[in-house]
Amino acid sequence: MIKLCFSHDLQVLYFNNHIFILYTPLNDTLQAETAALVYLPLDYLLMSFVFEELGINFQHIQQKTLTVLNPLKQTDGSIMNETDLTGPVVFCLALGTTLLLAGKVHFGYVYGISALGCLGMYMLLNLMSRIEVSCGCVASVLGYCLLPMVSLSSFAVFFSLQSIFGIVLAVIVIGWCSLSASKIFVATLAMDGQQLLIAYPCALLYGVFALLTVF
Amino acid sequence: MAHQGYRQNMKPRARGPSTMAGDPNQLFEDTSAGMPPSQPGGYPNQSYDMGNFSVNNIFGDSVVSDLAMAYGSNLANQSKEMVNKEINRFMPINKLKYFFAVDTKYVVKKLALLMFPYTHQNWEVRYSRDSPLTPRCDVNAPDLYIPSMAFITYILLAGMALGIQKRFSPEVLGMCASTALVWIIIEVLALLLCLYLVTVHTDLTTFDILAYSGYKYVGMILSVLFGLLFGKDGYYVALAWTSCALMFFIVRSLRMKILSTVSSEGMVSYNAKNQIRLYITMATALFQPVIIYWLTFHLIR
Repeated sequence: MIKLCFSHDLQVLYFNNHIFILYTPLNDTLQAETAALVYLPLDYLLMSFVFEELGINFQHIQQKTLTVLNPLKQTDGSIMNETDLTGPVVFCLALGTTLLLAGKVHFGYVYGISALGCLGMYMLLNLMSRIEVSCGCVASVLGYCLLPMVSLSSFAVFFSLQSIFGIVLAVIVIGWCSLSASKIFVATLAMDGQQLLIAYPCALLYGVFALLTVF
Repeated sequence: MAHQGYRQNMKPRARGPSTMAGDPNQLFEDTSAGMPPSQPGGYPNQSYDMGNFSVNNIFGDSVVSDLAMAYGSNLANQSKEMVNKEINRFMPINKLKYFFAVDTKYVVKKLALLMFPYTHQNWEVRYSRDSPLTPRCDVNAPDLYIPSMAFITYILLAGMALGIQKRFSPEVLGMCASTALVWIIIEVLALLLCLYLVTVHTDLTTFDILAYSGYKYVGMILSVLFGLLFGKDGYYVALAWTSCALMFFIVRSLRMKILSTVSSEGMVSYNAKNQIRLYITMATALFQPVIIYWLTFHLIR
């Protein structure tokens, strides 16, 4: 047992690879001691500091993923305030990997199309909206909304999509991706009456990904 | 140093009871009421927060690092301004923004107009205090959203059509895209040259002409779609319909802009200059079906 901090009401102890935080407030009137003990596994504590340094905020990542997964729910524009590229990069890699599992080595195409698509959407959004966007924000949103496409391509590993059912499924997934992407863009950039106009180029971009997945 | 103290404590060494009382390795700032007097005096300045690795400590001297950061950001701002100024010389971003100020209702109405312009009454572009209204407010105003989206859709559709016929390869797609682009550039330059030679005083800017030339991509997309769905007959029917509609649309839209001497009743007076302008408008209109056929017939087999 190692004492790391010594003060009259807060004690931090290290024992057996855990950190114990003991808080004993002294109540003047009643002179009763109530204590609260918290223990944290050390690895969790270390990793949480590492993630904070790297700027990876798991709460935000989870929030953004849930926003993507539910395209019909309203969202507010503040979730895209910090540019977060870890999620999108992970999803791109996942898409490439699931395509690889299906026997198609298309990593170059995935990266190239994402880069071109991001650039195109960045130019279009800057021309169409009153608020300036950064390329990182556009890349982040487009990357997050790639998640349903990853699920489509993992489905394509087991069943072939070159049938009516596969094409219908691909169309549904394209619609899902572009609706979420346009919803987030419209909320972040405060554009009114333009959601379908933004959804169309997103649908074109995700359509190219779907072409890669299906054929 | 507090950092080293932290690292030392991570190894699970069982320390003896000598460290229990008054441990100098304080890692957490004591935020209880006031600093207790039992604190060793040298340490309070060095009790850092756990995850707060200050950047300034990487350079030894914080004054130098502040100066370097200020100079670097100043330089970056200057170069960004210079790049923006150069880009604005060739492509004025503000004028371009006018053409993209569209909304969904405008796009739907414009597409319907492109396909069926025969019942539309008022073709004039409305002005508000000397500047034209944005496409949001006026359905007659040209925009660049529809042509650019139609261009990209045309390229993708061409790729799909070739893929269905097993003739797809990325080179063919690139050739298709560059052919279409080159033809539009030729048409815009030709129209600009004609207007310059005839010294027509219009307010048609390059972007306006680009917009009107780009509307033919919508006709191209429809023709290719019908050709894919219904075969060669469907292709020719769609081609005829979209050509007529587009010719009518171009003539009615450009008439107001190119033929400037319009009397108060709206009738165009027939003198020599006006005749040349009329010929220019008709030539532009007649060029549309030719180019639509030229760019799409090889996609339908």
